[in-house]
Amino acid sequence: MLRLENVTKVYEGGVVAVKDVALDINKGEFVFLVGPSGSGKSTLIRLMMRDELPTNGDIWIAGKHASALSPWKVPQLRRSIGTVFQDFKLLPTKTVYENVAFAMEVTGKSRTAIHSQVPQVLKLVGLSAMADRMPRSLSGGEQQRVSIARAFVNRPLILLADEPTGNLDPATSVGIMRILDHINRTGTTVVMATHDHAIVDAMRRRVVELDRGRVMRDESRGVYGASGDTEDREEPVDRPVTDDDGTTNPASAETDLDTDDTNETPNDKDEGISSKPTEVAAEAAAEGDGG
Amino acid sequence: MTGLSYTLREAFTNISRNGLVVLGAVLAVFVSLTLTFGTLVLGEVVRINTLQWAEDVRVSAYIRDDVSPSGIADLQTEMESWPEVDEVFFMSKTESLEEARVLLANRPAALRVIEDDPSIVPASLRIKPVNPDDYQTIVTRAEAMPGLLSVESAAEAIDGMISLRDGLQIMSLFLAVALGIAAVALIANTIHMAIYSRREEIEIMNLVGASNWFVRTPFLLEGAFEGFVGAGLAVLVVVGGLRIASNQLTELPDWINIGIQSDYLARNGALVLIFGVVAGLAGSGLSLAVHKYLRT
Repeated sequence: MLRLENVTKVYEGGVVAVKDVALDINKGEFVFLVGPSGSGKSTLIRLMMRDELPTNGDIWIAGKHASALSPWKVPQLRRSIGTVFQDFKLLPTKTVYENVAFAMEVTGKSRTAIHSQVPQVLKLVGLSAMADRMPRSLSGGEQQRVSIARAFVNRPLILLADEPTGNLDPATSVGIMRILDHINRTGTTVVMATHDHAIVDAMRRRVVELDRGRVMRDESRGVYGASGDTEDREEPVDRPVTDDDGTTNPASAETDLDTDDTNETPNDKDEGISSKPTEVAAEAAAEGDGG
Repeated sequence: MTGLSYTLREAFTNISRNGLVVLGAVLAVFVSLTLTFGTLVLGEVVRINTLQWAEDVRVSAYIRDDVSPSGIADLQTEMESWPEVDEVFFMSKTESLEEARVLLANRPAALRVIEDDPSIVPASLRIKPVNPDDYQTIVTRAEAMPGLLSVESAAEAIDGMISLRDGLQIMSLFLAVALGIAAVALIANTIHMAIYSRREEIEIMNLVGASNWFVRTPFLLEGAFEGFVGAGLAVLVVVGGLRIASNQLTELPDWINIGIQSDYLARNGALVLIFGVVAGLAGSGLSLAVHKYLRT
């Protein structure tokens, strides 16, 4: 789904943001990009959405050779990628509904499709009741859920999230992670750059650790900090595709981050995902949150 | 169809959201094109009037008394063969005397000299140029011919008329270029501000994969609209002004004619409108080309 081959990104002025990164992310994977500020996480996300071009190396996104794609084909490529950012990037003059509908309008979707898809995806993120509210009247967590709804409404193959919980308190972050997890379970590949120890440790998904632009660690069920006792450390990047549906690992079960995957497809449940994280999850997240 | 209605809606949302800036751009186009179109029309007024005067432009070649009638006929044939000459006709001494009596009616002293000795009034060949601008060539060529006393023309009057007409033409060209550039720059600036004020929307459009044309077309439409409205106002003001002038100025001397043909106004008015739209498109295109929020 995403393949980076010896990718190096050097910005003007000689700052090396990403150095010789090789990464292969399969369909349906959930990948955390972790590392300190300036380690190249955000640059990697921007390379994966073809907002930046690599100085060296090749990038394939959803089967397209993105690093060699002509500029006029970029919009088509972007339609297979959803993006979520720390600062939400919502339009303050549009309602929740209009913000989500905007992503469909500007890609030329029909009115009928918009009318059917937007309510569905708002239900998925638990904001059906707030469709007519303006973004500034929402909490940070709710705004981020609008932003996720907008990223997902066109059913992208890949969802890229750059510090989606960076501005949110731990309890709210848990709610966001539930939604991202749910989206991942629909088969969407999710790549999330984060600083949030608690979330990474609780989810136990693939972790790619970056430091000064290099991949330092790539674990299939990793934690935030390098852990010597992780049995499958340095697993080859081209491991077979695993269909994650139904695989709940003990860590996530403990913290209640993983949904129990039976009742939360967009169409079959009225309430969508609960926006209230459990106390257990909140505590777990708060404990591990290093700042 | 979502795309088309979206594009139109966005273009007009932009316009209503940035009312004052849009008004500024429209006024800039309006002032520029009013001055340009006004000068063009003024140039046309002069051209129409010089056309009338040009009918009367003649070069007079005065003939010595000792040239025989056959010599005069040879001169006339020779001059008629020149490419810049339209026609040549002969005025005998008698006809010239009649003309002089009319022309000098108010100058008794000069008239008395003629009446004292009518034979001093020479016969002449009156040469009508094809193009009044070429009179000087005819004068030069005629001066080289034998048997002539002198060659004369209403040089200063003709030169003044021609230079006024040429001056207005150059001025309207200069105004069209300078003010056209100003109008394009002002529209570019307006669109630049519109893009800036919508940078968040544009960023999101780029993120979710809106096509380049989808992002750009509302701005192009906005520029074209501003150019069109400004040009439309300019045409209205110039045409309306001309109407009012021709109704009010009934006491103009006979020799000034401001009755411009309406097909001239229609043709050039349409050109001004097209120029306005093109300037609007050029301005917004310029802005779109350089704006950093639109890179992909």
